[in-house]
Amino acid sequence: MTIEHQERRRAFGFVTPALIWTCAFFLVPFAVMVLLSLAHLEGREIIQTYDLDNYVKIFTEPSLFKGIVVSLEITLIVTVISILLAWPLAWIIATQVPQRYQRLAIMLAVLPFWTSYVVRSYAWALVLGQNGVVMQALIGIGILDEPIQIMATRAATIIGFVHFFVMLLTLTIYSNLIQLSPNYARAAADLGASGWNTLRLVILPLTLPGIMTGAFLTFVLCIGDYITPQILGGNNELTMPQLIMLQLGRRGDFPMASALSVILMMLVTLAYAATARWLKMERV
Amino acid sequence: MKRVIQFGTGSTLAVMLSSTALMAAEELNALVWCDHTDPALLEPFETAHNVRVNVKEYEGTAAALAILDQSRPGDWDVLVIDGVDVGRAVDEGRLAALPADQLPTASFFPEVVMADNNTRDGVTYAVTEKFGYNTIAYNKSKVDVADMNDMSTLWGEKYAGKIAVYDYYLPLLGLVGLEQGINTADLDSNAVEGMRERLYALKDAAKSVSDVVASQTALATGEVDIVIGGGEWLTAVLSAENSDMDWLVPEEGALRWSQSIGVLEDSTNKDLAVEFVKYITSPEGQARLATSSCYWAMPANAEAGAILTDAEKTALRWDEQADYLARTQLYPTPDADLDLAMQDLWTDMLQQ
Amino acid sequence: MRILSWAYLAAIFVFIFLPVVVLVLFSFQDSRLPIPPFDGPTLKWYATVLADRNMMEALANSLLVALISAAIALLLGFFAAQGLSRVKLPGSVLMRGVLIAPMTVSYLIIALGLLTVFNNLGFRPSLWTTGIGHVVINVPLCFAILFAAMGDHQKNAERAARDLGASELQVVFLVSAPMLKPALLAAYFLAVTFSWDEFIIAFLLTRFDVTLPVEIWSMLRSGLSPATNAIGSLVFLVSIAILIILELTVFRKSKS
Repeated sequence: MTIEHQERRRAFGFVTPALIWTCAFFLVPFAVMVLLSLAHLEGREIIQTYDLDNYVKIFTEPSLFKGIVVSLEITLIVTVISILLAWPLAWIIATQVPQRYQRLAIMLAVLPFWTSYVVRSYAWALVLGQNGVVMQALIGIGILDEPIQIMATRAATIIGFVHFFVMLLTLTIYSNLIQLSPNYARAAADLGASGWNTLRLVILPLTLPGIMTGAFLTFVLCIGDYITPQILGGNNELTMPQLIMLQLGRRGDFPMASALSVILMMLVTLAYAATARWLKMERV
Repeated sequence: MKRVIQFGTGSTLAVMLSSTALMAAEELNALVWCDHTDPALLEPFETAHNVRVNVKEYEGTAAALAILDQSRPGDWDVLVIDGVDVGRAVDEGRLAALPADQLPTASFFPEVVMADNNTRDGVTYAVTEKFGYNTIAYNKSKVDVADMNDMSTLWGEKYAGKIAVYDYYLPLLGLVGLEQGINTADLDSNAVEGMRERLYALKDAAKSVSDVVASQTALATGEVDIVIGGGEWLTAVLSAENSDMDWLVPEEGALRWSQSIGVLEDSTNKDLAVEFVKYITSPEGQARLATSSCYWAMPANAEAGAILTDAEKTALRWDEQADYLARTQLYPTPDADLDLAMQDLWTDMLQQ
Repeated sequence: MRILSWAYLAAIFVFIFLPVVVLVLFSFQDSRLPIPPFDGPTLKWYATVLADRNMMEALANSLLVALISAAIALLLGFFAAQGLSRVKLPGSVLMRGVLIAPMTVSYLIIALGLLTVFNNLGFRPSLWTTGIGHVVINVPLCFAILFAAMGDHQKNAERAARDLGASELQVVFLVSAPMLKPALLAAYFLAVTFSWDEFIIAFLLTRFDVTLPVEIWSMLRSGLSPATNAIGSLVFLVSIAILIILELTVFRKSKS
């Protein structure tokens, strides 16, 4: 009993530093932010009050409320498109590419991860512009007569996001796929399932953990990102992070920025709850 | 593993050593606009005084004042601020008195000395360093220049979808006001609210509402043909590459911006800070500031003209300043409440 | 099926590589605007970037913050994984939850929370405050990787060492750490990468000494230039070089 006791005390000793760090620099700041979201900006003074005025304003002021809608729409569209594009890619690499080239193929598929995150959106701005290579190529081969507008629209933001998250989801789905035993597919075939049915009814459900883990990460990173919509969206609509930065950068309105962040946090929590049964965050 | 760690610590140490070696004896902390971050501007002063000038750029006056609020006394020595906002900083007791007799305001373009803004009760708190215009910038090969002279054509069908709006609420609300015949000095909450529909209509006609780079990019790449709110600060950099980039002040007039520089009241290094202000307003500092990397614009001190090259002066439209100065108005000067109302209107427009 | 697969593979690789190719290509652009037509090649923008004092300092700052904050995060994460994988502790699910939590939150929220607290405490924004933020985001990552890598095999070895009289720290550093070497290395380099490339925390929590992504952001905001392409390409090439070296040395060895 005492040995076990000692064991536990030592184990606690090992966990404590990380716990203290996370509490001091994550949980406490978050609590402070929640408190601040109940305060007011009057003139340039922050008055600590305890009411929900900022939240009421977010839900009644159309320009703020629309930020929530815009963010959710973009994030959901991005998540769905990214899954649809990434799953076949992961599946092809896991099953069609010869074993010895798989590692290379996966490394190539995520190579642009290693460009700087800020520069990646900028590169898309160059690609998608009216005079960018895409438009020039499409006009060159006669698909378009004149350039269409993609840059500075929601489509540009979505393309920039999808590019990043296809890479992320390919990773999570691929690592899920290679853990599956080929026996599943064989068993299904033995039982008379067609190739398509095997894929749809056997393999696909077995990759749900990989899909959901990637989807959750996509949701979190996408809904909280400032750079991509700021560079590619042309300010034609504002996402929540853009609204938060506007509150900070131009108005110095910390309480409103905090309230928006708390709502952002709630949306992420909802996404977590929706995907939790498939998530193995410790094993990402 | 061992080698990796050795490599890691080795290079870390090297980096630490090299960055301490770069530390000069003294430091001067300045809260500035992006044109002050150009090393070519700071280096002569740093070398002459053996000092390191640390600069932090900010976006709007409200954000700068918030940064000052959150800092400790002595954190900042120099402040660059919108000329029309000097009064706000003085109201809050942020700025120290400057030795007016040591400043070269006598050789400034008279219109930009702006004593009303920079001094109070005979005490000088800041000095103008640079100015320019928020007006109509365009690609002259793509538009009918005569149309540019009449701002109202920008709301019409002809240029719909070929316009970028510069994303800064103060000059843009000022311009929309001018288009409707309201002087910037007369903008109040009623007038601002009355501009809502006109502003929304502009957003409909525009392709994007974008910051300096994005609007510059859009104009340069042919994405748009017109930038409302643009001026020499947007086109001068591009003009070397593309001579079609142009701008003018339309019949209705346009906005003139200016930036002032001052010393902070609780600076612990006021003497050196004043030296910095003197350097920036000297002909040499002015010439460098006018052509600094972030954006070009006219120097306040006319003597900088002797140092700038002819090509630089042409890009800055040196010889046409008298006409521009006469036909442009200063930025609106909202109080805190009107400022928030203007920002709210702007955010509403972005979210339309 | 095969043809379809390869066609899809080709199409999606074009999509994935398109921005990178354009980025690198126009870093060699001769004129001032990185847009078609291409009129290079020239290396002058690389010279510009390498001679840019602010950029090089930002690079050094980023390196410093990344190497140190990742090391701290690795140590904290390693200890935590060691503690939690060892015995069943009361509340271990809660503790795991707390440790993983920062990974499930937008960096913007972490940054804003820290900014608020540091403002209240009167801490000046600096590389230190940025580093603290980067440790916060990297502890969950290191913890998760190491926790997943710890198995019974290793627990047995640790127990044996302890029975033979090894001290607690000896066990950790002489038995556990060498056994977990690949996972430790993977966690460290991932953490370095995350910190190195992180923008919003560094943007809100630095003042004069900024990190590379923040410097690139202000460069971006101050004008369109192939120099931005050049610094972007440089960062990319260096990352790839490090990746290949690691792949060929450390990870290949640890696999065999």
